[in-house]
Amino acid sequence: MKDSKRQSKYWVMLVLVFCVCILNAQQMQQKIEMRIDSIGNARLDITMKMNAQQWQQWIGSLGNNPAALKREIEREMPGYFLDNFKLEKDDMNRSFNLKLDAYGVCKIDKRGNWIIELEEKDTQLTELDSHKYMLVNSPPEYGGQMQQTFMITLPETANNIKTAKDAYGKDIFKFTMEDPSEAGFSGLLPWIGLLLIGGGVSWFFVGKKTQKA
Amino acid sequence: MKKHIISIVLIALGVFLLASSFIGGFKEKGEVSLDIEKTETIMPAAHNVYNNEEALNGKYYLFKARLTNNTNKILEDVTVKYRIPGFIEWTELEVIGEMFSGQIAAIRAYPKFKDDITEKMTESVEKVDIEITWDGAEEDDIIEESFSFRISDRNEFKFTNVPASEILGWSDVHNNTALLACFVTPNDPIVKYYTQNIQEKMLKGESAGVTKDPKEAMRFLMGIYEATRQSHMVYSGTKMIPESLTDISKFSQSNRLPREVITGNTGLCLELSTLYASILSSAGIDPIIFLVPGHAYPGFKMNGQYYAIEATGIGGEGLGGIQTVDKAVETGMKSLQDFFTKQQQGDPRYTMVDIHVANQNGATAMVLKDDDFLRKKVDEMVAVWGEGKSNKKQIVYVQPTSSTTRDVTPRPAVNRSLSVAIPSSWQTIRRPYPDIPVLTANAIAPDQATSISVFDVPTANANEAMDLIRSYLYSYGQEVSYQLNGNQVVGQTYSSYGTLNWVGKVLNKGNNIRIVTVGAPDYLYNQKSGVINQLFNSIR
Repeated sequence: MKDSKRQSKYWVMLVLVFCVCILNAQQMQQKIEMRIDSIGNARLDITMKMNAQQWQQWIGSLGNNPAALKREIEREMPGYFLDNFKLEKDDMNRSFNLKLDAYGVCKIDKRGNWIIELEEKDTQLTELDSHKYMLVNSPPEYGGQMQQTFMITLPETANNIKTAKDAYGKDIFKFTMEDPSEAGFSGLLPWIGLLLIGGGVSWFFVGKKTQKA
Repeated sequence: MKKHIISIVLIALGVFLLASSFIGGFKEKGEVSLDIEKTETIMPAAHNVYNNEEALNGKYYLFKARLTNNTNKILEDVTVKYRIPGFIEWTELEVIGEMFSGQIAAIRAYPKFKDDITEKMTESVEKVDIEITWDGAEEDDIIEESFSFRISDRNEFKFTNVPASEILGWSDVHNNTALLACFVTPNDPIVKYYTQNIQEKMLKGESAGVTKDPKEAMRFLMGIYEATRQSHMVYSGTKMIPESLTDISKFSQSNRLPREVITGNTGLCLELSTLYASILSSAGIDPIIFLVPGHAYPGFKMNGQYYAIEATGIGGEGLGGIQTVDKAVETGMKSLQDFFTKQQQGDPRYTMVDIHVANQNGATAMVLKDDDFLRKKVDEMVAVWGEGKSNKKQIVYVQPTSSTTRDVTPRPAVNRSLSVAIPSSWQTIRRPYPDIPVLTANAIAPDQATSISVFDVPTANANEAMDLIRSYLYSYGQEVSYQLNGNQVVGQTYSSYGTLNWVGKVLNKGNNIRIVTVGAPDYLYNQKSGVINQLFNSIR
């Protein structure tokens, strides 16, 4: 049945992993946090709570088979290299938390702009603060049974953040960002060096004056 | 000297930091690294999927490259190129504007093979060369990498691309089932020709694609069964569909194309299913292939309901036990009930492929060329129909719950004055252009995509009639090219609005020639082929 459903690449990427739960009519809430780091990788943090029946089904299919869960996620996100999977189940509260890293989520175009593709048209993005955005999505494939809340956090060093459209009319994030190596300690190296040389020269002349006096 | 030691140390440290920032700092200068994840086998039948990043969520790539900038420099204009000698010349995959130190880029390759890859009858091992360069890269820096992969023959279908030792569950075994849609070939000229023959000669007309009446569609499904049974098609009898997670021998199989099933007059369950799906799709019906442990059978979806038939009921004269068409329908519908029961129970081995949905998701049919020899083979098959007494009995679908037996729902009546069955919802305009007196009427579908034109030309020769029509349309800025073949005509009309593809029939009306054409814009023609075939067959 899965193949017969329309699959968009990014925003419903993790819904299919839990599609077995859709058999139940009760709406499910899924929270996905995505934090982009200063070199364009993403840390994903997915939380989901289920009712008793949904939990039993999920445990029976994927919950007790983390390797199959990992493979399903890899299958739904073929565009990235995924790593550092960590699944925590809370049987008492019938919920789980899954963390993973997705490498290469951002790219820099020829004009030096960082780009994140949302892979959806007309997304309703809400700006929570200058670097944090929220998106609520209900994939039509699941007839409104699934509500996803995405929180996207862009790096602190990102500037000129804009939402735009790509050539296919799909929404994208566009921003500029300094080279982290320049922004960090290594970027300060020449200045520290110059400061030390200046300090050394000053010390030399101060020492000489003191000697004359 | 001792008094200046501090200043000397400070200056020395400052010079060191300054120098190290210019020549690379504390970090040891690394390299750009490349890791490749490759596809083991490319199936030629699915070449339209492998070349489309949007198809089936983009999971069918040739390779995925992980490029990491381990140097302490920003790399500019990083260019990734690849080639497959003998198939694809050097092709630029991506140019990354900048790559910061430590940054990772994920790049996927979707190779655009030529259509003639579907003529590949043997498997081969091919090589991919990858080259990565960037601005200022020296000869030593350029990354060159190669790997090999396999291109199977056009008939091979792999249920999964997960290695047998890595199978974790049924979603792994059924990983590629959507690709079955690539083996469903409604636009294959041979399948179209066979479909037209079923509609005309087996069913004496059929309208399921237009009326969307399940009873009419079921009658069509039965017509396909009768066509295969009366041509003495043989079910080859081998189980092909995996039954368990260790059924490794069935994970990959040679799958005859629908045209090969028709002309070879034999097929396995999955091959018969793709044949039925192709014919149904060609007639504008939504085909479904049902996969169950060890077996596959075809059906269709209409108005939210599913219908099926046991295509393998044809058995084989040597095998015995040939089912009547009514029995095949009964078996198919019973299997369908069992299918949904098992699916509701959560048995992952029971799955279906909705061919048109798979098409929409990018699993499009392979492209096949017309072949006169195969057409003749179809003619031979068709000639056998009716030899047995069974053909005298009209094909009728009786709903299981109904106690009455009646023929299908009424088809749109042929408009006697226009010689074609124009659906009632269509808009018909008589004499739309007074400047073109030979154009008797135009009819257009509600979606404005499909149209019918009826021409009456005062001549007794079809070629003369077409020439006259062509000259009239030319004065309207339309250029017509056509090919007459007996009483059938195929052509294209070019204008500033685009290209219209059409088919038609030439009817002799005493001193006049009547030409009735049915067509659609070229980009919609395949999509509308079911309706077009239907209307074409109704021309009397």
